[in-house]
Amino acid sequence: MTAAGKPISEAPILEVRDLATHFFTRAGVVKAVDGVSFSLNRGEIIGLVGESGSGKSVTGFSLIGLVDPPGRIVGGSVKLEGQELVGLNDAGLRKVRGARIAMVFQDPMVTLNPVLTIGQQMHLALAAHESISKRAARARSAEALTRVGIPDAPARLDAYPHQFSGGMRQRVAIAIALLHGTKAIIADEPTTALDVSIQAQILSEMRELAREMGTALVWISHDLSTVSTLASRILVMYAGRIVEEGPTAQVLRSPRHPYTAGLLRSLPAMAKPGTDLEQIPGTTPSLLDLPEGCPFRPRCDRASELCAKDPPMTRADDRGYRCHHTLEEMVSA
Amino acid sequence: MSEAFISINDVYKRFSPRLSMADRIVSKLGARVETRPVRAVDGVTLMVERGQTLGLVGESGCGKSTLGRMIAGILEPTGGQVRIDGKPVMQGGRKADTRIQTIFQDPFASLDPRMRVGDIIAEGPLAHGLADKAGERAYVAAYLERAGLDPSFADRFPHQFSGGQRQRIAIARALAMQPDVLVCDEPVASLDVSIQAQIVNLFLKLRREMSITLIFISHDLSVVRHVSDHVAIMYLGRIVESGPTEKIYTDPKHPYTKGLLESVPKLLVEDDALVHFKPIMGEIPSPLAPPAGCHFNPRCPIAVELCRSEDPRLRLIGPGHCAACHLAE
Repeated sequence: MTAAGKPISEAPILEVRDLATHFFTRAGVVKAVDGVSFSLNRGEIIGLVGESGSGKSVTGFSLIGLVDPPGRIVGGSVKLEGQELVGLNDAGLRKVRGARIAMVFQDPMVTLNPVLTIGQQMHLALAAHESISKRAARARSAEALTRVGIPDAPARLDAYPHQFSGGMRQRVAIAIALLHGTKAIIADEPTTALDVSIQAQILSEMRELAREMGTALVWISHDLSTVSTLASRILVMYAGRIVEEGPTAQVLRSPRHPYTAGLLRSLPAMAKPGTDLEQIPGTTPSLLDLPEGCPFRPRCDRASELCAKDPPMTRADDRGYRCHHTLEEMVSA
Repeated sequence: MSEAFISINDVYKRFSPRLSMADRIVSKLGARVETRPVRAVDGVTLMVERGQTLGLVGESGCGKSTLGRMIAGILEPTGGQVRIDGKPVMQGGRKADTRIQTIFQDPFASLDPRMRVGDIIAEGPLAHGLADKAGERAYVAAYLERAGLDPSFADRFPHQFSGGQRQRIAIARALAMQPDVLVCDEPVASLDVSIQAQIVNLFLKLRREMSITLIFISHDLSVVRHVSDHVAIMYLGRIVESGPTEKIYTDPKHPYTKGLLESVPKLLVEDDALVHFKPIMGEIPSPLAPPAGCHFNPRCPIAVELCRSEDPRLRLIGPGHCAACHLAE
């Protein structure tokens, strides 16, 4: 934090290059993340979207070095404000985690300790990175809780996690992630378990946070519409890779990758009520048994012989896509 | 007056908490022990015509699943009655017949992992005489095909299938009982988007091809809009608004329905639309102690004094369109 003596340049907070995380299972090598690159600027929110098994969560875990055996980061780099995180030992990672980069998980009931009060847990989180008096810790914690919209924060510090509702618990988890003035938060499906009205509250609070405090967010979700309300950039993952990326509105309005287009067309919101939804044929391939070339090839209606060769990431006017047969203006707004 | 195909008449469901040992002892000794039952479903009246699809929408704890289970005859109402085609679905705590089948949210929990798919599907029809041993394979094959599965899957076990395929197996099992009514409790909530589309399409196909009546319970407003003819919105055990789907979605009258629809993240927004995103304030109150008057009043942006004291009744405000709000017109 104190290293911020240099002028604020637009250097990204988080820079990920060719990240690869593989799982070495008895059945074979699962390339859960296979060459993911992106960068995240101050106050920016990017949405990482994909279906189950696309590698979006493993990408999130890899960013803060939380991959357990048989998984291993086998290549690439993750730079947090210029500091390389890949290859850092546990002690080094512990210094970074929670202080400069933090993660919020889907189920706050699992991440919060049920036998400690919220105040105790927040004190622990603070004490992990700095020496702080109990009183100062309470003040900082109450402030963090207020920031995420928890009413009557000082009194709530003495409550236990089970005394909070699901939405409030998730707010506590976000407050803990924010305690040290964290620059980047990785949020893995943080609102999936919540009701729509509570989800809407948290989404609008997250947007405020990013705007006011400059916190950068990687929002991992399977839900395109949540991401579209929140993120300025969207990354679509399929079988361990980013298949399409770009500014949210552009990607959603005119997807270039057939997978993105297929996903969008399969949403009930895009179809006339009562009519059949368009569907992507088949199912997501097993990562153990990926087809040669483009992994989406067997489900793609535009596939040709060319697709037996792996398409490279093409970048043009702020967008990127991995496809030999891109489409323009598939979905008219 | 002729009765609707499914008629849910002023149905209540209360769950009483189990007393602790200490409380049981003092109550035996004659002391009064305060127990507050959870009013999971609090006086619901609904009609569904044959072949129609009713969407039941609400957030967690609103009682939509409890209501669904009472329609399916899994739970007995504390008060009121659910009748299908004039006959009650439950008599003396026993499910009366097999006219109603249920499809649950989690196809990983609802299929017995030790049974082959064919046995899962044939179990009910064999027990109820809809199929015999000789015709079992053909019977199973027919329903697997109807659910969009290959008949050869009958010899496999549930773990060999993905979530979407398992949900199809659950649907095949339900259809094999030749039900008149299918209660679907969050049938697509645990599925990926592309798989969700396949299952939604399957429901649409079933509705077209069979004269089946569907109760479609979901928290996902866009899926419900897609499959339902009528929608009922629940809040804390009560119906706050019901009516034809398009009417509810385009011209909601109850402030809760309006708030709920506005809370749904839109897929394509203008860049400025972010500013207009206004979530409903506050949280859902505990059903143990619902607020007095209109249950929604503490969160309602337009509540007046009357809303805090008097309970609004569900009243007709348009053709087939009801709302429980003092201020709805």
